[in-house]
Amino acid sequence: MHVYIYDGYVNAKKYDTVLAHIETRITDLGLNGKIIRLGVMKNVAEAVANEIKHGAKTIIAIGNDQTINKIINSVALFAINNQTEVNIPLGLIPVGEKGNDIAPALGIEPGEKGCDVLSARRIAKLDLGLAQTTNTSGQLSNYYFLSQANIPCQGTFLEINPLKGSIKSKFSIEVMEPGEINIINLSTLTDLPPKAKPNPQDGKLELYIKTKTAKKLSKLTSQISQSVFSSKKITVINKKSPLILDNSLNIKTPAEITVLSQKLNFIVGKERRF
Amino acid sequence: MQAHEPTNPIPMFNKPETKEKFKEVETIIGPSIKVKGNFNGQGNIVVEGILEGSLKTNGDVFIGDKAKISANVEAREVHVSGEVNGNIKVKKHLDMISTAKIAGDIECASLAIEQGATFNGKCSMAAEISKESVKEIKAVKN
Repeated sequence: MHVYIYDGYVNAKKYDTVLAHIETRITDLGLNGKIIRLGVMKNVAEAVANEIKHGAKTIIAIGNDQTINKIINSVALFAINNQTEVNIPLGLIPVGEKGNDIAPALGIEPGEKGCDVLSARRIAKLDLGLAQTTNTSGQLSNYYFLSQANIPCQGTFLEINPLKGSIKSKFSIEVMEPGEINIINLSTLTDLPPKAKPNPQDGKLELYIKTKTAKKLSKLTSQISQSVFSSKKITVINKKSPLILDNSLNIKTPAEITVLSQKLNFIVGKERRF
Repeated sequence: MQAHEPTNPIPMFNKPETKEKFKEVETIIGPSIKVKGNFNGQGNIVVEGILEGSLKTNGDVFIGDKAKISANVEAREVHVSGEVNGNIKVKKHLDMISTAKIAGDIECASLAIEQGATFNGKCSMAAEISKESVKEIKAVKN
């Protein structure tokens, strides 16, 4: 059975027409299933766990980056709590223009065309980013992300650590100009240097640092500089700013970021960027 | 009568092309970045910022004119336009552009130094340094 999880914001009246078209197309393609509408009273983790137990064939997010992030974290939580692997393919139909950066990267068009991608059922095994934080009482928290983790350069300190058993690099990075740090699994950025090729299937994370140096004479003309590193384990420390996962989930640092190789089954489109 | 068009002399050091040669770059250390520690890579590396520690790669290294490196560098080929304080060990070719400043010993199979470059240290040259010869040298030292 297909399970469609509607994010809370799509209940707004302005999305009625879009949703009606999506539902009609889903019916035409014979992909009908159960609809779950998220709201203040509906816990997404509970709803996802319940549907996995009842044998969901596919879980499809109707919403944006935040919706898919919530579902990924809920599926991961179910897998940890039940000590099992969940191989159910996830899908996404983007609704609305804001906060929908993951869908184009996966080659999924908004609205009805997104339903055609579901129908083609082209499943790709994707890597999953994992950010781990430890609270004051020593309790470990896991947060998952599909696309990227962002944090401002100012006050951020990065450590690139070798994985257990390997004799790879161990170094720290300090950024001396303001800008943004992106730890990328699936790239949603369009201004990456052509030499940087993030791929969500290569088992690695791309660390992309973009800084702006304002020239002394004129603040209008600033020089942009880009840095690219490739790693499997990165520790991020910033006492002031949080780390933002998938442009939706804020977590405190220090956070240790690793990549789980080909952990997620996702329905992707032909025009995907990898 | 046709005017004689001046022909461009063949440049000895292709400055703009050197960086472009790096089609596949694994790592770019930008101008506003400071890296501290042991950096081990597999592919080509471009350094435009500050690096302290050590830098090792199986690929090539491009050191930009604003780069400041306080580290020993080991690579297949190295093109230096900036400052290096440390030893450089290159399997093939080492290029020093006019803005290059090296304070340390260099070991390479082939070397080009442009007018204006500064080099303070020892230079030893041999045929292409192979893994076996490196092992032999280590064995002799031990």
